[in-house]
Amino acid sequence: MNWCLYLALKQLFPTGKKVSFFSIMSIIGVALGVMVLFVVQSVMDGFQHEIRQTIIATQGEVRIDVNNNILYNADRLSDSLKNRPEVAALAPYAYGVGMLEYNDRSIFPLIKGIDLENEIKVVELKKFIKEGSLQNFDNRSIILSSELASQIGATVGNSVEIYSPIMLKALQANEIILPKTLKIVATYETGYRQADENVAIMMLDTMQDLYGLGMGVHGISLKLKPNIRPEKFAFELNKNLTHPVHAASWQEINKDLLFVLKTEKTMMFFILVFILLVAAFSITSSMTISVVRKTREIGLINALGGTIRQCGACFMIQGLIIGIAGSVIGVAVGALILKFRNNIISVFAKLCGIEDFMLKFYSFANMPAAYRLSNILTLVTFAVAICCLAGMLPARKVAKIKPADALRNE
Amino acid sequence: MNDYIVELKNIQKKFENIMVLKDVSFGVRDHETISICGTSGAGKTTLINIMGLLELPTHGNIFWEDQNAIICNTKKLSQMRAKIFGYIFQRWNLIPELNVIENILFPKRITSKISISDIEFAKELLQRVHLDGFENRNVWTLSGGESQRIAVIRAMINRPRIVIADEPTGSLDEKSANVTMDMIVNLCQEYGSSLLLITHNQLFAKKMQTSYILNNSELKPFDYAKSEQ
Repeated sequence: MNWCLYLALKQLFPTGKKVSFFSIMSIIGVALGVMVLFVVQSVMDGFQHEIRQTIIATQGEVRIDVNNNILYNADRLSDSLKNRPEVAALAPYAYGVGMLEYNDRSIFPLIKGIDLENEIKVVELKKFIKEGSLQNFDNRSIILSSELASQIGATVGNSVEIYSPIMLKALQANEIILPKTLKIVATYETGYRQADENVAIMMLDTMQDLYGLGMGVHGISLKLKPNIRPEKFAFELNKNLTHPVHAASWQEINKDLLFVLKTEKTMMFFILVFILLVAAFSITSSMTISVVRKTREIGLINALGGTIRQCGACFMIQGLIIGIAGSVIGVAVGALILKFRNNIISVFAKLCGIEDFMLKFYSFANMPAAYRLSNILTLVTFAVAICCLAGMLPARKVAKIKPADALRNE
Repeated sequence: MNDYIVELKNIQKKFENIMVLKDVSFGVRDHETISICGTSGAGKTTLINIMGLLELPTHGNIFWEDQNAIICNTKKLSQMRAKIFGYIFQRWNLIPELNVIENILFPKRITSKISISDIEFAKELLQRVHLDGFENRNVWTLSGGESQRIAVIRAMINRPRIVIADEPTGSLDEKSANVTMDMIVNLCQEYGSSLLLITHNQLFAKKMQTSYILNNSELKPFDYAKSEQ
């Protein structure tokens, strides 16, 4: 073993002592930083992954619309899209805000009109059905998000009354208009609060009738075949579409949300990286003190045949060892925490009495987590690099020591 | 060509404007024992530091095994230093993180890989200084005398051509000092190393074959026998 590595290891883990206080504290400092960063990054990645999956499962991968206007030639466009090899399925849709009334309770949900037969090929509606079923879904029925149903106190089997904006306008003009009565056949829940909160689904032709759309729709949702990139496909598609018809990938449609998620992750990393920096500073200060304490020893090593550079390398290697050991422990403990995250959160929430709050505040019932090897490697490399830098400062101090002065040092 | 292992020629050393060594020429041959005496601050330690090129002279040349050491690169200097010199200091300077045997073998580790014969040699040296069984002792449990004996063995582990002992008994009581000094002389004789002793103790200085005195920045030969007459 190279003597620099040997001495660095001995200085961290001296013979005859079970453990060196400095080594343990430094390694714990780095491990804590790495662990927190690893856990937070994984949870953030998990959230992002879940949100992305839910968006795709509820919205499709690409949408074609006409900038909030009505698309009248949807059938012709659908036919040409079906011929494209990248498209796996497509479904026209219409949407709009309406007034929904049940037991004198009124709310204004976003109503989506779907062509069920095609819709279930594009989005995973069946997967999200919580109560009831899609079997009885027809022109006289409606599906509510579970949150919406609970807001008005309605359940499957109840009937709700719907007023469209056209109807409300007519009412304002003192015309006598009867609301559309629809029976709730199912409730759904995606687990993602934004999608569950305020949405009602009805058949497309009912929607067209209520909103006076005729044969028009607001857009077409597309599901792509595997390995087709939605952004690229939308870009290519737009070359063939005439304005104002526009294709947008789910990433483009949700770019604000994705930007927020990305920024949130970056900010969390930025804030939490200070834990690592504090650990690195403590390593630097401890090692610098060690350099002063060991000045005479450095002179001795020089007299024994070592070079001052090699002595400096000893301190850098110590930083490297602390970085590697801290990172490995940090990742291992982090992985353990992630494995038992839901148990830990449930105990914590129970202790604090915030179980419902946790569920409501965060969109998912279970805390998601996702980690990639590349993320772990980046984090470990970053931590080790910081620790090496922490060791470099004392190493530079060593490099300035003159051997004869070191030997005279008292 | 001459038979010096190490030779200093016309060495001058100034610290700012203070002349510490003035035109010092001096050498060490094989199997020679030399003492250098002088008052505190006379420049004895500076002289041996320059000899080992731990410090550069202001003027002059230093030859190690007939090579001009001043023009050698750092790596080569370090290798040659480890081969030629064994250092013993007043304060034994053992590395606290290493145990006794690890401290003894450390100079060997710097120059090469540790072999079983090196460990055997270290144990043999421990026996020679009556510290057999101390191999795995932690150095902070040793007395001053024991620590200095370990430092003596450490200086011998590479079988150096010259052992430089800088006031090796300065921190010891009289009895321990005598025992340690005898050990240094005997080990040097036995393993064929020359000994350069820096000391204040005239009794020890007298035991060396050649003696010098460093006074007023000048190194001059000194004959104790003549001075006693």
